[in-house]
Amino acid sequence: MSGSRPIDLPAGVTIPEGAGGSSSWKTVRTVLQHAYIWIWLVIFVIPFLATLVYSFESPKGGYSLEAYDFVKGAFLENLVYSLELTLMAIIGNLLISIPAAYAIVRHNVPGKRLILSTLNVSLYAPAAVMGLSLLITYAYLLDFMPLTHSTWGLLAAYVVGTFPLMLLPIIVALRDMPMVYQEAAHTLGASRAQSLFRIELPLLGPGIGAGILMTFVIVFNEFLVTLFIAGPENQTAALRVYGLTRTAGFSQSTAAAAATMQLVSFVVVLVFFKLVGSRYLKGTYFA
Amino acid sequence: MSRVQLISVAKRYGDTVAVRDFTADIADGEFVTLLGPSGCGKTTTLRMVAGLVDPSSGYILFDDQVMNRVPTNKRNIGLAFQSHALFPHMSVAKNIAFGLTMKRRPKAEIRNKVEEMLDLIEMTGYGDRMPAQLSGGQQQRVALARMLATDPRVLLFDEPLSALDRNLRDTLKYSILELQRRTKKTAIYVTHDQSEAFAISDRIFVMNQGRVEQAGSQLDIYLRPATEFVANFVGDNNAISGVIESIASLPDGQRTARVKAGTFELQGYAPDTLDVGDEVLAFVRPENIEVVGQNTQQQADGLVSGMVEQIVFEGPTVRLNVDCDGVLLNVSASGVERLTLLDKGEKRVTLRFRDVSLVKQ
Repeated sequence: MSGSRPIDLPAGVTIPEGAGGSSSWKTVRTVLQHAYIWIWLVIFVIPFLATLVYSFESPKGGYSLEAYDFVKGAFLENLVYSLELTLMAIIGNLLISIPAAYAIVRHNVPGKRLILSTLNVSLYAPAAVMGLSLLITYAYLLDFMPLTHSTWGLLAAYVVGTFPLMLLPIIVALRDMPMVYQEAAHTLGASRAQSLFRIELPLLGPGIGAGILMTFVIVFNEFLVTLFIAGPENQTAALRVYGLTRTAGFSQSTAAAAATMQLVSFVVVLVFFKLVGSRYLKGTYFA
Repeated sequence: MSRVQLISVAKRYGDTVAVRDFTADIADGEFVTLLGPSGCGKTTTLRMVAGLVDPSSGYILFDDQVMNRVPTNKRNIGLAFQSHALFPHMSVAKNIAFGLTMKRRPKAEIRNKVEEMLDLIEMTGYGDRMPAQLSGGQQQRVALARMLATDPRVLLFDEPLSALDRNLRDTLKYSILELQRRTKKTAIYVTHDQSEAFAISDRIFVMNQGRVEQAGSQLDIYLRPATEFVANFVGDNNAISGVIESIASLPDGQRTARVKAGTFELQGYAPDTLDVGDEVLAFVRPENIEVVGQNTQQQADGLVSGMVEQIVFEGPTVRLNVDCDGVLLNVSASGVERLTLLDKGEKRVTLRFRDVSLVKQ
């Protein structure tokens, strides 16, 4: 209340004790609220921080970046392979999900609900079950195309496992996008393709962006399904880290590889939100 | 600039008929309004002209060319939507330029056209704004500029003002009319608001349940409603049922009929379809009933007397509910004399009807 003009209250009006509260108590409460949030944040981040700190410890005592020589050397190949796979999985998911979303939202597909819930099975299925099922399927397909122990096999596994994560946000964005933008584009002379690329896809951007982000996070870090499908030639970053813990033990270089993987995901998520803004979190322009 | 023809155009969705047998010949540069309640088929008709809905039967012609199979983007039309439908991810300038960009016109030409359009809607300097940063009226004006930028042959309006507040609606409807007059383009305008339709149209098509009830000028629609629906939908009306006793032809070719309605008689304009003995509804507008005397018992030809049941002062008008031997009439009195009606107390008034139109019952 300090600094504000005193208000003359009408006669007979009293202020009950404690009404409005004192400013010092408010400050204490704010500090406690913030502390509570920060404590939880730290607890969540501790395992990551522990790995990071461990990776800097030098076997000779003290701290050094020695372990990261391994990341820049042999592990780089695995990182690049993982990034390539992730990029291809994102492209695959987009190619499948955008037409599928249009079919489901804009056209009367019979049994729409059943299709949708069936498609999402891969989200509920345990990864071990997924891996085993894919392995059996690939065995059946062996005569037509050798998918086991191949990049294409891994890619197929990732797309099957993650495309609902792309499809669902696009469906939500498409449902929220009024037909009128498409119609306006057509009346202004835009062809079907022009309307799609100039108007509809940009307006679906938030949904597509959310799908890309989720696909990235899941596929880049995928381990269990990869373990079933991958051959010796298909060493993804996650697989390599797992392999290292068994062969090289829990060394600093293993921790450095793990920390780097975490860092890549972290940076991608940060850049995504920085670039596209929090608007994309809401999912659409039209809410 | 185009002549637009609709020949027996119909649209059916399964068993429901949205538009039935719509035929119209809209001249080059004419401003036509489709007026009707929601669900009457006016928007469906407009969307068929735009190519957004395929007719179930019939033909749509622009300048004697059948358009049925021509897709929307090749029809060279401009359509103003109820929601302005500006692309939210593009600036005002990009929105206005969109049609020309699609036609791959040179950059310089597009830039000039955008400037010209911004001047036209008096929004020079707004090119870099995003649609969300504009007021509702500005958004709709940009939408108009966007549709005019491509120089379309037909302008289509789908209730473009219904989402705006009243003052804005009044200003914008005259802007639309002015833009149409200046560009001399054929225009089809859909609305459920009769004052909008009266203010801007050369010709009005009143629609109900997928059918055109009446097509004609504002005065035709207002003073000579062809059906009971038109009489009731457009403006306030008193309906008095009666029987035609005699019909006379006037020198100007119109026919006037004498109708017996309960205890009194009245004169009304009779279309050719009516004959002596027909049961008709006589429609007379509240403002076309003149209060010729108070507390008197005039019994002259063409005059009716009744008891005033209620008086409401509405400012420029005074509204009376008058009971004329069981027939309840709504009377709207204007002019200075109206104030003399406000004296309290039961009173008898004598009324004279003008411009009575007859519709078969």
